[in-house]
Amino acid sequence: MGAPGIVRDVSAVPEPDSQQKRHGLSRRVVLVPGVLALLPEYAGRTDPVAELREACVAAVSWLTGPVEIVADAQGRRVAEHLLAVSSGSTGSTDAGGTSYLVVANGSACRSEKAPGHLDERSFGFDEEVDKALRTPDRAALSGLDEALGAELWAGNVSGLRRLGELLAGAGAAVVDYADDPFGVQYWVMRWECAS
Amino acid sequence: MTLKLRRHEFADDATLMMAIVNRTPDSFYDKGATWAEDKAFERVAHVVSQGAEIVDIGGIKAAPGVEIGAEEEKDRVVDFVVRVREAFPGLVISVDTWRASVGAAVCEAGADVLNDAWGGADPELADVAAAYDAAIICTHTGGVTPRTRPYRIEYDDVVAAAIADTVAYAERAVAAGVDPRSAVIDPAHDFGKNTFHSLELTRRLDEMVATGWPVLVSLSNKDFVGETLDLPVGERLTGTLAATAVCALAGARIYRVHEVVETRQVVDMVNTIAGRRLPARAIRGLQ
Repeated sequence: MGAPGIVRDVSAVPEPDSQQKRHGLSRRVVLVPGVLALLPEYAGRTDPVAELREACVAAVSWLTGPVEIVADAQGRRVAEHLLAVSSGSTGSTDAGGTSYLVVANGSACRSEKAPGHLDERSFGFDEEVDKALRTPDRAALSGLDEALGAELWAGNVSGLRRLGELLAGAGAAVVDYADDPFGVQYWVMRWECAS
Repeated sequence: MTLKLRRHEFADDATLMMAIVNRTPDSFYDKGATWAEDKAFERVAHVVSQGAEIVDIGGIKAAPGVEIGAEEEKDRVVDFVVRVREAFPGLVISVDTWRASVGAAVCEAGADVLNDAWGGADPELADVAAAYDAAIICTHTGGVTPRTRPYRIEYDDVVAAAIADTVAYAERAVAAGVDPRSAVIDPAHDFGKNTFHSLELTRRLDEMVATGWPVLVSLSNKDFVGETLDLPVGERLTGTLAATAVCALAGARIYRVHEVVETRQVVDMVNTIAGRRLPARAIRGLQ
C-alpha cells in the first residue's frame, strides 16, 4: 500500500507557553478524518475504528480555547461528537487562542475493496498530501487539486487546502495516526502554530 | 425485566440459549443419544462451547411411556447435576421436572432453575424453588396430567388462557418466596395444545411479553412445526428457526433448543433488526 504506519509520539507534543496561552498567541490545529463509524449512532458491539478513535480523542483533547470547526456537514457531526467526548479545555475563552479542528481525509480508492475501488492515482495524491501535512508545506496544501481529490473520493479537500492558511507559523506535525485500514487514507495530526 | 437464575444475573436485554440435555433413553428428538452419562456430559461440554448460557437437564421424556418414579428420576439427574456444576461453575443449570422431591435434590446438587414443564402439577415445586432461591419456569398446559397428549382440548382464547395460568403461577411462586426476578413464563407450545393453538401462541407471543414476566419459548423441532410443514422429526430445523424469529421479534428472552448455534444467530439477527442489539461490527459505507 505504501501507507505510512501508525505513528504516535505524544511526548513530543509541545505544551503551549503559559504567557502565549494567556495572550492567545499560540494556535492549535488538529486534523481528523470524517469517518462516520466514529459516530455513536453507528456503533457496533465491537469498534471497527478503535485505534483511530483513540488517536482522534487524544488529539482533540489537546485543543484549547474556543474551537472553530473546518468541515463539511457530515464532518461537522464527527467533529462535534469528538469534541463532546474529549477531555480538553475547549470552550474556555481564557485557555488560549482559537483552535481549529479540521475534518478531512485522503482518497478512498486505495484498494480493490475500498469504497471507490482501486485507483492507482490515489497513492501519489495521498503521498503528496502526507508530505505537505507533515512538513508542513503550506503552499502545497493550498495548491491541492480539488478536482483530482474528488475523483479519488477524498474527504473535504477544501479543508486540506484551508490548512495551508491555518498552519502559518506551525512546526512539524505530530502524527497520531496515519493509515488506510479500509482503503481510505486517514490522518490524525496536530500542529502548534506561533502566530 | 432483569433475570436472576439463582447465582446468575442477566441484563434486561440479554437473550439466553437453554440447550436441551436429555438423560433419557427415549426422547423424541435424540432418541437416547445422550442416555449414557458420558454422552450427556459430552453434550453439555459441546453446547457450552457453542455459547449456551443454560442447560436444561431432563430425566423423563415428555411423551407417554414407561413410568419413571421419583427415585429413578433422581438417579438419572442428581449426580449428573453435581458433575456439571463442578465442571462448569459459570453455567446455568436447569432441570426439567415437575416433582418437588426431585427439584429439592437437584437444587441441593447445584441446579439454578426448575423447569416445570407440566405447569404446577406438583404445587410444592414452587416452595422448593423459594427455599433454594432458585428460578422457576411457569408453563401453561391447560391443566393436563403430566406425560399425556392433548386430546380434543379447546380454548375460548388459548393466549388468554396461557397468560392467565402462567401469570397466576408466577404470582403464586413469588408469594411462596421466589424472587420476582426468578419467575419465567412459558406458553409451552404443544403441551395441552394442538398445532393451531401453538401457531396462535407464536403469532401473539407479544401479548405474553407484555405481561412483564420474562418469556421462555420451547419450539425446537416440535410437532406444530412438523404438522405445519409436513416434515418428520429431523427435518424441522428451518421451521423451528422461523418460529424462533417470530418469538424473538415479540421479545422472548429464553430459547429452549436442540440447535444452539443456529438459534443464537436467528435471535441475534432478529433482535438487531428490532433495535434491541447492536450489530457485531459495522464499517461498510461508514469508512
